[in-house]
Amino acid sequence: MTSEAKTHAIDISAMQRENRTLNLEDETTALEVKNLKLYYGDNEALHGIDMMIPKNRVTAFIGPSGCGKSTLLRCFNRMNDLVDSCRIDGQILLDDANIYDRSVDVAELRRRVGMVFQKPNPFPKSIYENVAYGLRIQGVTKKRVIDETVEWALRSAALWDEVKDRLHESALGMSGGQQQRLVIARTIAVKPEVLLLDEPASALDPISTLKIEELIHELKNDFTIVIVTHNMQQAARVSDYTAFMYMGDLIEFGVTDTLFTNPSKKQTEDYITGRYG
Amino acid sequence: MQFEDNYSSHISQQFNDELEQIRTQLLTMGGIVERQVHDAVESLLTGDTELAEQSRRVDKQTNDMELMIDEQCTMIIARRQPAASDLRLIISVSKAVSDLERMGDEASRICRHAIELADAGDSQRGYQEVRHIGNLVRAMVKDVLTAFARNDTELAYRVAKKDKEVDQEYRSAMRSLVTYMMEDPRAISSVLNVTWVLRSLERIGDHARNMAEHLIYLVSGTDVRHSSLKQIKQAVQADSDS
Repeated sequence: MTSEAKTHAIDISAMQRENRTLNLEDETTALEVKNLKLYYGDNEALHGIDMMIPKNRVTAFIGPSGCGKSTLLRCFNRMNDLVDSCRIDGQILLDDANIYDRSVDVAELRRRVGMVFQKPNPFPKSIYENVAYGLRIQGVTKKRVIDETVEWALRSAALWDEVKDRLHESALGMSGGQQQRLVIARTIAVKPEVLLLDEPASALDPISTLKIEELIHELKNDFTIVIVTHNMQQAARVSDYTAFMYMGDLIEFGVTDTLFTNPSKKQTEDYITGRYG
Repeated sequence: MQFEDNYSSHISQQFNDELEQIRTQLLTMGGIVERQVHDAVESLLTGDTELAEQSRRVDKQTNDMELMIDEQCTMIIARRQPAASDLRLIISVSKAVSDLERMGDEASRICRHAIELADAGDSQRGYQEVRHIGNLVRAMVKDVLTAFARNDTELAYRVAKKDKEVDQEYRSAMRSLVTYMMEDPRAISSVLNVTWVLRSLERIGDHARNMAEHLIYLVSGTDVRHSSLKQIKQAVQADSDS
């Protein structure tokens, strides 16, 4: 018997390691933002953002309305291309390649960086066809492959048990919470690397919200997740890292636990304690 | 630095009031305990059993306040989900309240010994030590409450430092008391009572130090429990520099 066993030694340092393993410097980079400036017409909405999004982690963006968090999120899969007056300086690197490079195929980028919006937007098709849609666009025709992927995606989105008996009914007949999970299933069916969630639960009831949050926790094993939320407690619950933005600047970015107990910037402190006004 | 602003700047006025209220209540409770410690030492030194009895009755108030403030803290956590300095305030107040309650218990214990000593007739051996350590500990209690009232981490650090002094004085007083007992075995039972009193005073000093550590956590965000004085000083300085 070793001396450790005799003393019933508890490895406290191991417990501490389990409790706080997170450190930005140890993370692998999924996306890197370099001096990103964004203009709507003459108005500079993002003032030179520098940050990295860690791989297989949940990163939350918080900040008051109009601070630029959704704008930044949309930059990650070039959704801002759709806005005419929008102009971008700087770089966002995905696998060391700038996504704003001329040679980038935007459709392929959006497959690799999927997005879910505030309001669930299922297609007016069956549940099955909603999830299979991305695969069909990609030219997958084998029924067995599509069946398997649809089941995998629905299971991953924690929806399978609720819909397996009505896969061919219209998606529009589902509840709001189910529709949002269906949209997440549709997004992950094409196996993206990054999942962008723009206020994914703000239109949902508390129970559906908890299901989405639980889902986010499950999905981070396979995907890098970036979430924008107005709900600070939600950011505190689901994320590993939190970024606080204000007036187009990234004010503070760090481990969620630290940011919510001992933020280093006064602006962050004022915002998360409800002192802004 | 972040603490210059008080608890009156939240958008929710009600939240301001709740946080201000637990702070005020903590200081009120502190005032009661400070009085308890003062009366306990005085009743012993003057043999005033009436004062000792009265002080022991006050301990019930201290216990009630502990329950009340803790309930307030739980309620604020449940309703407001406090974050950052607000969260640290609640955690620190809740912990400081248990330390205060324990100080009250120790004060009551001193009163009990004061009554026994008074009833046994006065040999007054060891009273000099009680007076000296009692003064040190009373100053610590007063200072730590002032530190809480002003969010003064420098003062909190001085309280922690003073606890070291109390510990040394306690050890040297114990040696004297052992000598008294050896010199005059008939005095053993009364001197033993005095050793228990000193022990209680020393414990009150420890609780004051704990409170000082809670305050440093509240203001700076650094948990300095089980740290050396040097580490505490560093935490306090790091905070005032930032």
